[in-house]
Order: sequence, then C-alpha cells, then structure tokens
Amino acid sequence: MRSPFAYKPRRGPLQDASPGAAVAYLGAIVVVAFLYLNPLVLLAAGTAASLAGILAGVRGAVRAALRMGLSLALLVAAVNALVTSRGETVIARLGDWPLFGRVDVTLEAIVAGVSYGLLAAATIVAFAVYSACVDPDRVLRALRPFAGRSALTATLVSRLVPVAAVDAARLRDASALRGPAAAPVGKAPLARRLLAGSLDRAVDVAATLELRGYSLNAPRARSRHSHSRYDRRFYAVAAAVLLAAIAGKLLGADDFQAYPTVAIGFGPATLAVAAVVTASGLAPLRHGPKRRIHSADGPKSLSVRDKSARRRQELDRSARRRGVARV
Amino acid sequence: MSELAIRRGAAPALEVRGLDYSYPRAPRPALVDVSLEIAPGEFVLLAGRSASGKSTLLKAACGLVPHFHGGEIEGEVRVAEIDALAAGPGELAAAVGYLAQDPETQVVSTTVAAEIELPLEMRGDAPADRARAVEEVALALAIPHLLDRAVDTLSGGELQRVALAAALVTRPRLILLDEPTSQLDPVAGDELIWLLRRLNEEWGVAVLLAEHRLERCLAAADRVMAMEDGAVGFDGAPGEFLAWSQVNDAALSTPAARLFSLAGIEPLPVGVRDARQTLRGTGIGHPPHVAGGRVPDPRSSEPVLSAKNLWVELDRGEELRDVLRGIDLEVRPGERVALMGRNGAGKSTLLRTAAGLHEAVAGKLDVGSIALLTQNPSDYLVRERVGDELPGDAGMEALRVVGLEHAADADPRDLSGGERQRLALAIALAGRMEGELLPGVVALDEPTRGMDRARKDDLVTLIRGLAGDVAFVSHAETKATRPAAVVVATHDVEFASAFAERVVLLGEGVVIADGPMEEILSGGWYFATEVARVLDLPGVVTPEKGAAVLRGELG
Repeated sequence: MRSPFAYKPRRGPLQDASPGAAVAYLGAIVVVAFLYLNPLVLLAAGTAASLAGILAGVRGAVRAALRMGLSLALLVAAVNALVTSRGETVIARLGDWPLFGRVDVTLEAIVAGVSYGLLAAATIVAFAVYSACVDPDRVLRALRPFAGRSALTATLVSRLVPVAAVDAARLRDASALRGPAAAPVGKAPLARRLLAGSLDRAVDVAATLELRGYSLNAPRARSRHSHSRYDRRFYAVAAAVLLAAIAGKLLGADDFQAYPTVAIGFGPATLAVAAVVTASGLAPLRHGPKRRIHSADGPKSLSVRDKSARRRQELDRSARRRGVARV
Repeated sequence: MSELAIRRGAAPALEVRGLDYSYPRAPRPALVDVSLEIAPGEFVLLAGRSASGKSTLLKAACGLVPHFHGGEIEGEVRVAEIDALAAGPGELAAAVGYLAQDPETQVVSTTVAAEIELPLEMRGDAPADRARAVEEVALALAIPHLLDRAVDTLSGGELQRVALAAALVTRPRLILLDEPTSQLDPVAGDELIWLLRRLNEEWGVAVLLAEHRLERCLAAADRVMAMEDGAVGFDGAPGEFLAWSQVNDAALSTPAARLFSLAGIEPLPVGVRDARQTLRGTGIGHPPHVAGGRVPDPRSSEPVLSAKNLWVELDRGEELRDVLRGIDLEVRPGERVALMGRNGAGKSTLLRTAAGLHEAVAGKLDVGSIALLTQNPSDYLVRERVGDELPGDAGMEALRVVGLEHAADADPRDLSGGERQRLALAIALAGRMEGELLPGVVALDEPTRGMDRARKDDLVTLIRGLAGDVAFVSHAETKATRPAAVVVATHDVEFASAFAERVVLLGEGVVIADGPMEEILSGGWYFATEVARVLDLPGVVTPEKGAAVLRGELG
C-alpha cells in the first residue's frame, strides 16, 4: 500500500515551484508555529498548512497528517495534564499514582499541553504537505552541487525506505504463512532478517547509482526545472508571513500564559498575525484571470488556458487570411 | 559482405581475454579463462545453468566486477576500447548499459522522467540535450505516457522498461541484460525481447543477454555462448548451439529442439518459424487432431478450495481497485492446477486471499487447510539451523515430505537454491498436516523465478509427489493417503505444461479460461508452449507428445 505522504507527480503551483520556494513557504509556517505559543496563532499555522495541502490536491496526506497530529496533540495534552500539577484551576483530583505521585488535573496544564500539541500537529501537517508535493528528485538535484555525499546518502535512503517497507511487508506475510508447528518468528530474528535484506538491497541500489555515473565528477549542468513562475509568489508569501510573525512577536502578539491561570491574548496584533498566517494557506491556489465573454450560448468565462487556445486559433485564422503558414 | 561482417571489422563492443575472477572469500573462481569478442550490433545470447558464471561475466563487462564487488581478477576486459579493469562503472556508463533481474533495485529516482535523465545529468549534458534524449528513448521503448508517473506506481514490466530506458539513454554501444524477463509474463517477456531486437537493428546496439528460457529469445540471437562452470563451453550460431546442447547439456535445449530430436528430424529449429518451415519441407503440414487431456471429474470428491463470486479490492498505489472480480473456482484433492495470466491479472491475489492474507469484499470462499509458498522462499528462513526452523515431530514430518530430513543440522544458507525453496515449503506445511496427511491445498506463487531447467524438473517431481501422482512420490516417500491439491501461479508456460493437468487463465481479475492443460496451452499464442505454437494442434503441448504425433505421421 502506498503511503499517503509519498510524493505523487501532479501539476499545481506548489508542485511546480522550485524546491527552494516550496521549502521557504512551508518552512515559514513551521517557523511561526515554533515562534508562538498562543493557541490561536498555532491554530492558524495548522489551518494554513492544511489549506495549502488541500489546494495543492493532497487531501489524503493532509487527512493522514491531521489524524496523526491531532492524536499526538491529545496525547501531549493528556500526558501534560497528568505530569504537571501547576495551575490554579483543579478540575479533577485523581489521588496518589505510582511513579506520578499525587495527580491533580488542572485546566492550565491541559491548555498548555494543547498548545504544545498544536505546535506538533501544525509541524506534522506542514511536513506532510512538503512530502506529498515536493519532488524529492528536484530537492536532491538542488542539493548535489553543495553537498554531493549528503545528496548520495539521501538518494540511497529515499530509495531504500520504500524498498525496505515492501521487504518488511513481505517478511510479515511470510511470517503469517508459517505453519503452526514451525518455530514462531520472534521480533529479533525478523528485524535481523530485514536488516540483512536491507543491506543487500542497499548494495544493489548503490551498484545502480554507480552504473548511472553517480561517482563521476562531471560538470553539473543546470536543471531543466530549476525555476517556476510560481516561485515569486511563494517567496513573497513566506517573507510576508515571517515579517508579520516577527513584527507580531515584537508587538506582543504572542500573548499567552498558561500558569498560574490561563490567559490567552486576542488583541489586534494576535488577530492580525493569525489572519496573515491563515491567509498564507491560500498561496497554492491555482487561479487564472477570468473574464466574461459573450457567445451565442450566452455568457461564459474563459481560463488562461482557454484564452491561449483561443489566441492560437485567432493567429491561425489571421495567418490563413494572409495566406502564410504559421508554425 | 554482410552488414554484420562489416561491423565486425570495427572495434569490438566487448572484448574479453583470458579473464579469471574470484569473488572475495569464494572457495572457487566464478570465471575461468574466459575469452570472447562481441562485434558492434551483434545480438548474443548467454546460456548456462544457474551459477555457471553468466551474471559475473555481465558484471565484469560493466565494471561492477571488480570495482564494486572486489575480489581477485586477471585478464583483460575492453568495452568499446575502454579498459574496463582500469575505468570504473561510472566511466563505462557511456559505453555500456546494464539491466539486472530485479527492477525494484534498479530505479533510484521518484519519477520516471528523472530516472531516465539521471545518467545524462551525471555526465553533465545540457538540459536541452537531456530533454531530447529522454524523449527519444521513451518513444523507442513506448513509454512516453509513463514519464510523469511515480516509479512506485509502475508494474514490474513497466519498471523493467524504465530501467532499460535509463540504461539506453546514453546511447551505449553495448547493453547487458541479466534475465530481464524472469519476472515478466509471457506477453511482456516477448515484447521485451523483440524490443531489444528492434533496438539492436535500428540503433546498432550490441546486446549480450543472459536467459534461462532460451525458447523465448533464441530466434532473436545472432550467436549463442554457453557458460559451464565459469568457462565458455560453447560459442557459435544458434543452430549449432542446439546440436551442442543435445550432446553436452540437454537442460539447455529448447522444447522445439527436443521435439525435433525426439522425432528424429533435422536440422534442429531455433524458433517457431524455423520449425514450421522445416516441417513444411518434410511434408508434415497438418498432423492429425489429437484428443485433449484428462478432464477431472467434478463429482469425484469434495472441493478443497471453493470460490464463488469472489471479489477482492486492493490499494494499487493510485487508488483502490477490484483485483478479483467475481471469481468462481473449485479445486479438488490431487489436482495440479496452473494459475496463469498477465502481470496484475490477480493470480497472486487469489492465492493470498485463499491463504487469509487478504479479505474478500464480496462472495464466498471455502478453503480447508492451505500452505502457501510466496515468491521469495528466503523470506521464510530466519534461523541459522534447519532444525531450529522446524522443531518437533511435526517439523520433522514436514521436512520428510519435501525430502530434506537429512538436512536438519544444516545452515539454510548452505543449502542450494532448490533445497532452500523446499525448506520454505516445509515451514509452510509444518503443523498444517494431519499426522502424515498433507493439507488440502498446497499453493506456490511464481516458484520458478531465475531457475534453470534442471531445478524446474526437480520442482515438477516434488509437485507431482505432493499431488499423489504415484510415479513421483518416491521423492518425498510420503505415506500420505490423501493427496493435496497443488495450485501454482506461474508465467512459465513450459513449466506449467510439465506439472499441471489443469490450467486456469485469469485476465483482469476474472477467469477467462479453465480447462485441461493440453487444451488451454495449445489454444493461444502467448499462453501456449513452443511445441503447441510449432504444431498448432489442439492438445499437443509437450515435446514428447508432439514427437509421438510426428513419428506417427512420418511412419
């Protein structure tokens, strides 16, 4: 079964953007999540990452990441509630627990846990969108001139991970198919077998890389897809988000305090930062300027693509009228 | 002067002189005094049993031996005038392409276009040149529609073509292929061989192809080399090779050659067309109709596997897909069934569903006890002593059934490939036998990958023994009174004709043919044996039966 986070080639602004632009854009959202503890801003960062993924057409990755991130958020909130007794609003007294000692669940500890959980969830969603939208080949190609050995290692790993996953699934199947009287396969022998198999696979993949000329020190030619017309958009959005986040931080937008009592700031600066961050999720929106035209069937709108085709037809007609061939 | 003779005058695509090679810590050399020359544009078939040195020779020609594998080497290897022992595989990549057996480990990029472009990028070619080369090789291999696909969504056949495209994109003078069809169905396998022939003719690429299923590619070859224990045992024209194999190693012969040899007709044919021409020359145009094989009586016993309107849905990378679509099938004790069909037809899925690895989404499936051996027997072997894998009386009984009771103290890694496969089968059988009785169904998924004919013959003996064929039980000396139904998913039509009495042909998840082996394997083109294609007679699929028919006609 294919992982929902696996990169799948498809057309879209985020997928077409150069790796640098995509990393800058999604990285800016992650930076905001790490800069702020205010749940509203963290929620905005998570929403922006989710929106970006949905608009980029990777709903499956967003769904899986949200499931994973929110589960983690709940876990963090629950653990924090159990291990932290700070806070004035006690909502449950659970008595003495082994290892934990006296456990008082406070509203403040839960809110602080939720805040950390939201940070983790937003980061997971942003990485999921990156994984599903950014072509790893382009990233490695971009890295190669600066860090050849790291790129080689990353290439090996990026290829070996799915191969090892397939091997592991096969070994699990073989283990399930063993007869009831055969010695059961313990986790250690299975892991040893997988490791040995992975080493063999690594040798095969390394041999393939060698055959493809990876070890050559030939001059690296420029990549065919190094830039995209969407790059500026993503760099601009990343810059705007970072500027807003830093300015907001300086203006006190990260107004949040968990202990001793919860105080969440909803001031204009916080709301403005949350709004900018949320709006940044719209950056992967594919839009062509539309205009209304009137045809015999009534008004209809044309996209840029339709307009290009129409323009070509007009040029062809014009060329025919002039009696020249248009190539 | 022929075109080939003119090309022979040019520098050889591959030149090997007195090559000796041993892998590190190997007890004996893998190559012994190998000398050969391949002219530009020549198509050479490399024959030989398993472990005879074919793969090592190919690796020496592309520089992996000794640069990647290490070991001790003596002699000379030159590829398009480049000294392969001095230059590494990277430097040789422009002159030679290499395609190994397993396509999974031959792709290193995420998308097809990036994979094909990689060797050119490593060479420092300009973007425009790369774009053109990728486009041209994709067109030549009929894969332009795959260029934007992710490699992990491709089928085995598609992946093999992509790996071939990556090997060819630098326009090498020589392409080396190590059993490239072993994981492909007959259709994809034939397509690949004829694609190679076309590239060989149109691009002038010299081809060195190692294969076990010689009947598939002998007709495409200009020349055959046979390896024996690391040395070149034969080097000559395909027709001469067949005559040599009759005397020196019958396991390397093709079914059509065996047919002619048994019928006493000469010369031995290198392919179906050749055989038909010879038969026309001898006046044997249309031998009489021969009755088909035995049809198992459907009421003879209760089925041990019964599927009614079985639907199975799986995630195939892109989306959920119905892999089995309303399968109706009954298999009875003692039946030997070959499950055939193209890659992705649903053969493995049917066996895996019967063994409980997949859930059916609709329909009914009744299976008693089933032991399934999957495509990689080594997946079952996790311990360092055979007896530790199969402890107790039940384990010993399973070992006895497969004829390995003598190997209880051996390390599985020291067993031969065939023995490892039998050990894996014993592991699947252990505990599923009722005392000495076999389970209802023994299923094997593609058990002949990379096997030479001698090993396939051993497997046929084992299968027939498990199914209670009295002529073949000596191998296992089983005291079992209840034979198992043996169901084997396979692409290998010649192997199917050797063991099966019934063939079920699947296509896109439905049963498209189900009947006696002789009838199914003689009624088509791709899923037909070479003998059936030569004689085109209903019910005649094996060299023995075909020879009997021809002898009757001649007599």
